[in-house]
Amino acid sequence: MLMYQIQSVLVYTFIWGSIYLLISLGFSLICGVLRIFHLGYGVTFVLAAYGTYALMNELHLSLWTAIPLIFVLQIVIALLVFYKGIFQRYLEQEEILLTLSILVFLAVTHLANHIYPITAGVSLPTTIIDGTFLIGKVRISYQMLFAALAGIVVTSLFVWMFLKTRIGLIIRAMSQDIHASRLMGADVNMMYYLAMALSVIPPTICVLMIAPFWSIDPHMGMGLLITAMLVSILGGLGNLKGSIVASYLIGFIHAFVSFFYVSRFMGFAALVVTLMVMIFKRGGLYPGETIW
Amino acid sequence: MNGCKMVCKGITVFLFTLALVTSALAQDKGPIIIGFMGNLSAAPCLSARGAAQLAVEEMNAAGGILGRPVELIIEDTKGEIPKAVELYKKLVMTNKVSAVVIAEKVEMAVAGMEIGAELFREYPHVMFSTIGSGDVIWHRVRDAYDKYKFGFQTYYAVSTHYLTTFSHLNATVFKELAGAKKIALVYEDMEWTRPLRRGLEGVSPRLAEVYQKDGLEVVHETTVSTDQKMFTSIFEQIAASGADAIDCVIGYIDQGAFIKQWEQSSARDIPIFIWGGLAGMPPAWQVTQGKTLGVMVGSSMTRVAITEKTIPFMDNLATKYKVGPIFGSHTTYDTLFGLKKAIENAGGVADVEALIKQLEAVEEVAVLGTIGWDAKLHYNLPHPKYITPVVQWQKQGDQGAMQVIFPAEFATSKYMTPADLRK
Repeated sequence: MLMYQIQSVLVYTFIWGSIYLLISLGFSLICGVLRIFHLGYGVTFVLAAYGTYALMNELHLSLWTAIPLIFVLQIVIALLVFYKGIFQRYLEQEEILLTLSILVFLAVTHLANHIYPITAGVSLPTTIIDGTFLIGKVRISYQMLFAALAGIVVTSLFVWMFLKTRIGLIIRAMSQDIHASRLMGADVNMMYYLAMALSVIPPTICVLMIAPFWSIDPHMGMGLLITAMLVSILGGLGNLKGSIVASYLIGFIHAFVSFFYVSRFMGFAALVVTLMVMIFKRGGLYPGETIW
Repeated sequence: MNGCKMVCKGITVFLFTLALVTSALAQDKGPIIIGFMGNLSAAPCLSARGAAQLAVEEMNAAGGILGRPVELIIEDTKGEIPKAVELYKKLVMTNKVSAVVIAEKVEMAVAGMEIGAELFREYPHVMFSTIGSGDVIWHRVRDAYDKYKFGFQTYYAVSTHYLTTFSHLNATVFKELAGAKKIALVYEDMEWTRPLRRGLEGVSPRLAEVYQKDGLEVVHETTVSTDQKMFTSIFEQIAASGADAIDCVIGYIDQGAFIKQWEQSSARDIPIFIWGGLAGMPPAWQVTQGKTLGVMVGSSMTRVAITEKTIPFMDNLATKYKVGPIFGSHTTYDTLFGLKKAIENAGGVADVEALIKQLEAVEEVAVLGTIGWDAKLHYNLPHPKYITPVVQWQKQGDQGAMQVIFPAEFATSKYMTPADLRK
């Protein structure tokens, strides 16, 4: 029994940690580049789910046509509504920026609830392979594995971009010192646009990947936003390295509490650990003012 | 001059008496007014409103109650308790309703019951809670009958029913249909499951002990929180425990995720029963993309004729009021017909004490069996009077359908194992 529990904890630390990474990556990116605590981030999950569903059901598009369109729609909303409409205008007035961001999020949530209440039966047919398989004695579903792999692939691409490309170099420089970057000729505004556009990719992929084993409801964004915030706070706001470590740490806490104690305490346990880390290591695991 | 004064006094007394008599006659001959309160943004309340309108329409088409028309006044609480209290006062004091139907969460019914108790002596009326579950309504009647005797609960979700009636029925389903000997219990961490987790003193031991006495070995027990999204570990532990049936005492958790993760776990072939909630509603099939196949659930939303009223009720509600029969609609509709019969037996609504006595004794054919209320505790009579069929999601062509598998007399299909259904 003990071996089974240990194996389960190891496997689900990997699975859940990778999914939490996918959930939080975009939030960390905005924190790291724009230095904004983006309370409207939850809207990307709602739009990914309900936007894709609406494109398929109202415009009768296939899933493979709807997916690229939803990415375009997400990027347009991130740039026009959030960046141009809110962030650029109120960058110096944080309280207004935060309030407007969350108001947009809540408005979209309520609109989704109005158009597609739970009785509408919203779902996304994004199962890649149905069924389960065994790793040792631990059974996991293929879809969870694919979601976890998607988390790792997307994160790897982001890390590669930040470490190996010129754009990544500029973004890292901006996250360290915005004024120096400007003096060195960095097109800060363009990089902000890019960061906003990139930030919607992980949550959109996340929703598409987790839909077969997660529930789609109009209020799903709030729970996922809280997970993203928890990971980012624990890891160190805006630090991708911290987000990676924090995702797997929370995955481990959830798996350990679930398999050795009782699953309903897993959320509480993660909050307590985050609180303890914040008390003893102010700023989180990687408190540096830089994205990497 | 004295004679003139005497005549004036006489005329005044005569007119006053005439006004009183006319008012009393008008009360006896005018419409019987019923107030309806609910959060008209919530699907169950909208369905209950349609059911109330349908009941009143049918009553008036059949000549009303004792020849008097029935008038329904509908109020929207917007889900806010202070507003509900104000509306209750308006209905009772201004509209002079004979009955208030509160088709909303139990907190609203409790608020209504408290203000109703203050108004009852001056404005005699009766009150029904037709959606609110739990024990707080009938506990008040039990503990202070004279104060709260006007209150009735038409919702079968009370702990006593769960522990003394439903638990034995469920045990029968597990043993006789699913062939189970070992059972795993999953509770949601909410107030309504507390008596099931801990037992009701003087009434029943906890659910696990009830099952043990009924011959089921409880091999695993756990509780889930309402904000939980990851249930995989629970199902893996249940599969490892050797359980051959899962009893899920849940109604409010994220059932979409719960069912999807059951179907993608080691427990996918273990028969699963869910007490209520999304799993018992038609959208469950689409929400879970068919992963609900094989799930058993207590549901009153299946198209099976429990009485001659069942199918016409479902059809008329959908065609005339454009709402589906969700939980609370049946109970609201049946409450009004139970009230009608009690008013007829009491000879009207003028004597509220007589009306309450008749409500405590009445039995009337209902959509889900027979409607009536316990004479002392004022909750509606449970199974076998009022029936919630156990259904199982089975395939019908490409789609899923809820088939009644229990009780046997209403069964539309036989129980099948989840594994067989997936073949």
